[in-house]
Amino acid sequence: MKDFEPLVIAFCCHYCAYTAADLAGTMRLQYPSNVRIIRLPCTGKVDVRHLLETFEKGADGVYVAGCLEGDCHFLKGNFRAKKRVAYAKKILEEVGIGGDRLEMYNMSAAMGPRFAEVAREMTEKIRKLGPNPAKRA
Amino acid sequence: MEKIGAVMVIGGGVGGMQAALDLANSGFKVYLVEESSAIGGRMAQLDKTFPTNDCSMCTISPKLVETGRHLNIELLMDSEVVKVEGEAGNFTVTVRRKPRYIDVNKCNGCGECAQVCPVIIPSRFDQSMSQERAAYRLYPQAVPNAYAIEKRGIAPCRDACPSGQRAQGYIALIREGRYEDALRVIKEDNPFPAICGRICNHRCEDACNRGLLDQPMDIRALKRFVTDKVYLQPRVPLDPIQPNREQRVAIIGAGPCGLTAARDLVRLGFPVTVFEALPVAGGMLRVGVPEYRLPAAIIEREIADITDLGVDLRLNNPVINLDDLSAQGYKAVLIAVGAHEGIRLPIPGADLDGVLLNTPFLRDVRLGRPPELGKKVVVIGAGDVAMDCARTAVRLGKEVHVHYRRSRAEATADPMEIQHAEEEGVAFQFLSNPVEIIGDDRGRVQGVRLIRMELGEADESGRRRPIPISGSEHIVPCDQVIFSVGQQAGLAFIPESSGVGVTREMTLKVSPRTLATDRPGVFAAGDVTSGTAYVIEAVAQGHKAAASIHRYLEGRELEPEPPPELPVVKLTGEEMKERAARGEVRVTPRVRVQTLPAGERIRSFDEVSLGFTDEEAQAEAARCLACGVCSECLSCFYKCGLGAIDHDMVERLEEVRIGSLILAPGYDVYSAHSSQEFGWGRYPNVLNALQFERILSASGPTLGHVQRPSDGKVPKKIAFLQCVGSRDQNHPYCSAVCCMYATKEAIIAREHEKEVEPTIFFIDIRAYGKGFDAYYERAKKEYGVRYVRCAISRVVEDPRTQNLLITYLDEGGEIREEEFDLVVLSVGMVPSASTKELAKNVGIELDAYGFAKTDPLTPLATTRPGVYVCGVFQGPKDIPETVAQASGAAAAASEILSEVRGTLVTRKEYPAQKEVQEEEPRIGVFVCRCGNNIGGVIDVPAVKEYAASLGAVVFADENLYTCSQDTQEKLKKAIEEHKLNRVIVASCSPRTHEPLFQETIREAGLNRYLFEMANIRDQCSWVHTHDKEKATSKAKDLVRMAIADARLIRPLEELTKGVIKRGLVIGGGLSGMTAALGLAEQGFEAVLVEKENELGGNLRRLKTTLDGKDVSRYLEDLTARVTHHPRIQVFPDAVITDFSGYVGNYKTALKVGSDGKGKEVEIEHGITIVATGGEELKPKEYLYGQDKRVLTQLEMEALLHGDGEKIGELKEVVMIQCVGSRNEERPYCSRVCCAEAVKNALTLKALNPKAGVTILYRDMRMYGTLEEDYTRARKAGIRFLRYEEEHKPEVTQKDGRVQVTFYNPVLRENLTFRPDLLVLSAATIAADTAELASMLKVPRTADGFFLEAHMKLRPVDFASEGIYLCGIAHSPKRIDESLSQAAAAVARACTVLAKDQIQISGVVSVVDADKCAACLTCVRVCPYNVPVINKEGVAEIEAAMCHGCGICASECPGKAIKLQHFTDEQVMAKCDVIVEVLSDVFKEERV
Repeated sequence: MKDFEPLVIAFCCHYCAYTAADLAGTMRLQYPSNVRIIRLPCTGKVDVRHLLETFEKGADGVYVAGCLEGDCHFLKGNFRAKKRVAYAKKILEEVGIGGDRLEMYNMSAAMGPRFAEVAREMTEKIRKLGPNPAKRA
Repeated sequence: MEKIGAVMVIGGGVGGMQAALDLANSGFKVYLVEESSAIGGRMAQLDKTFPTNDCSMCTISPKLVETGRHLNIELLMDSEVVKVEGEAGNFTVTVRRKPRYIDVNKCNGCGECAQVCPVIIPSRFDQSMSQERAAYRLYPQAVPNAYAIEKRGIAPCRDACPSGQRAQGYIALIREGRYEDALRVIKEDNPFPAICGRICNHRCEDACNRGLLDQPMDIRALKRFVTDKVYLQPRVPLDPIQPNREQRVAIIGAGPCGLTAARDLVRLGFPVTVFEALPVAGGMLRVGVPEYRLPAAIIEREIADITDLGVDLRLNNPVINLDDLSAQGYKAVLIAVGAHEGIRLPIPGADLDGVLLNTPFLRDVRLGRPPELGKKVVVIGAGDVAMDCARTAVRLGKEVHVHYRRSRAEATADPMEIQHAEEEGVAFQFLSNPVEIIGDDRGRVQGVRLIRMELGEADESGRRRPIPISGSEHIVPCDQVIFSVGQQAGLAFIPESSGVGVTREMTLKVSPRTLATDRPGVFAAGDVTSGTAYVIEAVAQGHKAAASIHRYLEGRELEPEPPPELPVVKLTGEEMKERAARGEVRVTPRVRVQTLPAGERIRSFDEVSLGFTDEEAQAEAARCLACGVCSECLSCFYKCGLGAIDHDMVERLEEVRIGSLILAPGYDVYSAHSSQEFGWGRYPNVLNALQFERILSASGPTLGHVQRPSDGKVPKKIAFLQCVGSRDQNHPYCSAVCCMYATKEAIIAREHEKEVEPTIFFIDIRAYGKGFDAYYERAKKEYGVRYVRCAISRVVEDPRTQNLLITYLDEGGEIREEEFDLVVLSVGMVPSASTKELAKNVGIELDAYGFAKTDPLTPLATTRPGVYVCGVFQGPKDIPETVAQASGAAAAASEILSEVRGTLVTRKEYPAQKEVQEEEPRIGVFVCRCGNNIGGVIDVPAVKEYAASLGAVVFADENLYTCSQDTQEKLKKAIEEHKLNRVIVASCSPRTHEPLFQETIREAGLNRYLFEMANIRDQCSWVHTHDKEKATSKAKDLVRMAIADARLIRPLEELTKGVIKRGLVIGGGLSGMTAALGLAEQGFEAVLVEKENELGGNLRRLKTTLDGKDVSRYLEDLTARVTHHPRIQVFPDAVITDFSGYVGNYKTALKVGSDGKGKEVEIEHGITIVATGGEELKPKEYLYGQDKRVLTQLEMEALLHGDGEKIGELKEVVMIQCVGSRNEERPYCSRVCCAEAVKNALTLKALNPKAGVTILYRDMRMYGTLEEDYTRARKAGIRFLRYEEEHKPEVTQKDGRVQVTFYNPVLRENLTFRPDLLVLSAATIAADTAELASMLKVPRTADGFFLEAHMKLRPVDFASEGIYLCGIAHSPKRIDESLSQAAAAVARACTVLAKDQIQISGVVSVVDADKCAACLTCVRVCPYNVPVINKEGVAEIEAAMCHGCGICASECPGKAIKLQHFTDEQVMAKCDVIVEVLSDVFKEERV
């Protein structure tokens, strides 16, 4: 399992997390290339189904990154996302994929370094957890 | 007078941007003038904002982008206003446009210029806490997204050089070890760097500012060093330049002048022939300067670099007659034959055998045919050529004596040359003049008769004239005499008939500016026109002649354009001393160049100077002061692939015609240098608040880690010192924001590092704004921020630990000391230096502190009609007040122009949209290299090929810069040619560039939603720079995701809805009346609804303002204007009973008239302004209502303006502040009561000076310029005594009098008063609006005030579009603040009312009625209360109201709702690609 390269999907809101990802670029902060970003207007758009389906399809890890709490451009979308992530984690745990493979992060548009850190953190964590067990089946 | 429908806004901070946006969105053309290189102002520098701790950059960023992209906002960056002529409605403004050196329209912000820039300067944005380059972007998100170059002027070294060598530039590159680059820039202006690096007379060094400190830079040696390094490599022949012009040019003479001109002309495309009489090229360099100073190999190398370019060099080819050249068809001739003939002194014996002339002697030696010399040689003269002769003779083994008629000091040779000659054994006899050469009988020299000289008066050259000393003649025996007293040109080939004039000095006559001779087409340059000069002059003349010939051959005016006058950065000794005192420079002597020992030198012609080693050169280069800041090294110019760099830009003046003007220039933070007791600038761990703000910022110098500058450790104890540069002798005002920002910084520091213990040392905590007091309380209770009320005396550093010892006087008057790890100075706001100049240029008056002079009843108007002001320039204030004022100023500025609204705005016309709905997707993919930004990491051709291989992709291409103008055209053409119906650009970020590309495809007839972007720069090449393979594979993946998405995207219709041009204003107080009048004056109808019978609200109870203005009269006027205005309809005694609709189309039902007789009225309107106000609390404490000697402040004001007799009898009056405010029930500050109390106290004192007045307070919140009134009150004898929250005053009746007892923490005892009157500063409470709020679906705070859309940037908006608020409905505020806010609400409303139609984004949620189960989930979760269940019993979402967040779509259990453009299918298609592709990529690495 030493050479396992995890496949991580990040759902990022346009106003904060996606902007932070751009800032990480502007600051030339390097992070692993395992993460793929899907841009959404708001993390409030993240559906529980999306979260579960991505695992079903074979993603090894998923995270949702939205604005800082209280800073949501759409007032409370990130709170909705937080609830859904918590719910999806529970289901993942129950079906044996493991809730740890899914996380919610909050960051502001100025937090380029934090974006890079999260990308590293998540990649490393999934690397340790190993491939998504659903895929082996 | 013709009115002009354009407004100029000066200042691009948050205020300026808001004003510009409101104006541009309501039908006016806007010029936004900003003196720096980017808009954003101070707010962009902040980390978080109080009291919500919102990220400052997140909130300001959309505004930046909107301002930058607005079709009707023209950004005038790097600009200042010089003059304003005309009158309100029609001004002509002269604007100074300063050079930025980078074309904003071409630059795409890639940053390659900064990466190659060698000049490091302290970062402005980070307040010198980090470094940046001279080519810089103010901050990463800057708008315009373009770099700029910081240039102070021309460095003196460049200015002094005849050829304009960019010495500072190549020195900077040497310091960076970039020798090839350094050589390249030298060669830009000088084809002979190795030569000049050895023998130039370096006037640059004489001009070097460093000479003021220690010694000038050794620029010449550094230049030689560069060539030494680069010439170690064998020369690579250069590619010839193919001539692209017909006219041939002949150059006579292959010396430095002729060859320089030849090179310039060949580069311009002319065929050039150089005729040289000698068998070698190089002129005097080759046959004059001896080998030991200038090795022939070097000359040959540098000449080869010229002849390679295609110069036809004909050696041994003397021109006999000028006319021949014309006959051969040369269209222009340059004579550059130099001065190669020596001069023989007219003394007896000068023709004897054994007398030589300098130039033939040196030439013969240099050409390998040295003349036979006798043993002892006398050289006459002490110029550089004489030294060459003497030292050459030494190397030929001779005994050499130099005789010179003047003293050593007058010798023209480089002193170093004389020294070297002496070291080599040359004997010097100064003040010794030959009178005769003595020959033997065979006619051979056997000696020189010399006479001694003494120095007399100065002659015309400024040197003292040598006078012979009679009787001092003597003979010096010798075998050989070499005359070295000057050189002249050989002009035999130019007969008088040629038409080329010759001067008496035997030089050619030329016009000094054009170098043209008297004969058309013939030019002359170099020594032949000037007599002997230095090589660098020959080079300069060569350039000049070539430019002249170029103009001549193109038939242009021969006289060159006068060069722009650029400032030369000449430092004074004083400035240099200051720099040294600040530690910016240290005395460091010049690095000495090593030479061969004299003993070795005389044995050969080996080069004497050994040049610098790498270490020596680096050390010497590091001494450069970088006088010009930008060194003009041209690295950026070479690097920029967009051709955006232009170092020749100059300042220019531009006239702009406008109707009105808004000033929003902002402020400077107080420079704490002036408060030396705090040690800022001396102690590394004393920062100002803006520096600390940068430290807290995630994108700041420490990436948001709280570190102290001296050692990078996390500071445990941090002290914030308040009122630095505020509330003092020089700044008698309060800066209004520092208490809150210090509190914020303390909280954020704690959030970043748990161990931080912040302490705030303060006088009063002025938490007077909305939500501020709650924030202050949270800081104390939740974050443990310690607040110490005191006066600070000084800060002293412990030199061992670099900790700081603070000495302060506590409230009880005791001196205390405490040690801290870090000190942050809460510096105040001061008007910036440039605003004083601005005020003068615009012609407005300033107040005593330098802020714009305004009146509280017209707070936005300056003293010049038509010129308005907002933000801190009007007086210190925070962001929301600035934003409100900015909108207000926009309203004021547009009100006088309402009849020309829409006359100067641009509306874009588009071609009809193509119908592609039914077509199969035909996708075009455009992959961008972004110069090297993407192309240097990602294999762009491979990505392109990959894209082309994918289904539905019918066309794929790559571009160097996809955003450039020409590529946009290419893109449009491709859409046409390949019938594309989906476009994908793989480049930078959609955040910055999606709107641009969408615009382009729309111009090509495609719906703008048929576009998708792949972010392969910011999120790929920039973050995986070192793994090119993975970056390329990820880029392919991202492109494939975009393709998957593009296949599913659909064109979206952008609906438009009409606008009802009428506004509804709820509340008829000051704010409501002002708003209604504002709408009407802007040309719209207004309906004003007031619940009471009479208009005026609280204003009816106020009599004067604090500075004595008559409020009653103002109210009377205002009421009359409102009630008589033809466009205003007033409904008194009316309440709102129903409210529905959306922006542009509202419907409101009113019930007018009470007592059941009321009638129903229905109003249709486009916008709504809520101005429901508030009222003074009726206190329940302090005997109010029980004893009639206890009044509220409003009651007191009525009394003061009523019964004069009663006032005269008063002996003692006590006022109590914070009655009903800042307590558990109402935890907010009522803001107005401190000023109201001071006003009433002052009025009382004026009417009855004997009355004692005491104000019992908790904090005197006399913010901003109110501080001055506070001072005035104290001077008037009004007593201010503090009480504490936990020991509130006790009020009782005793002996028939009112008795007030309280504990005073200053005196530390209980005090008792028995006043005649007790005046209570009662809280301001909101009107009862619970029902109204629920009808309008707008939120309120816990205190009952309305809650705006965003605390900072949308202070008068509700989240629901088209509804605005102002006045006390928002929070307690003073008259001027309400007036500003009411005007602001008008400006915001005009952005809707000015439009005929409102365009609705296509990215909205839509409901599939068949699937909807009317479960109400969407109704419940929508943050904007948009979905409703309609008559058909299904959910309906009004597109005009939907914000497009998609929350409803995700929550809908039946999946009946989809968010257009972000459908589930699209999202999942991307996921599919990721999983599929990545699985492939990682397959081999998986086990």
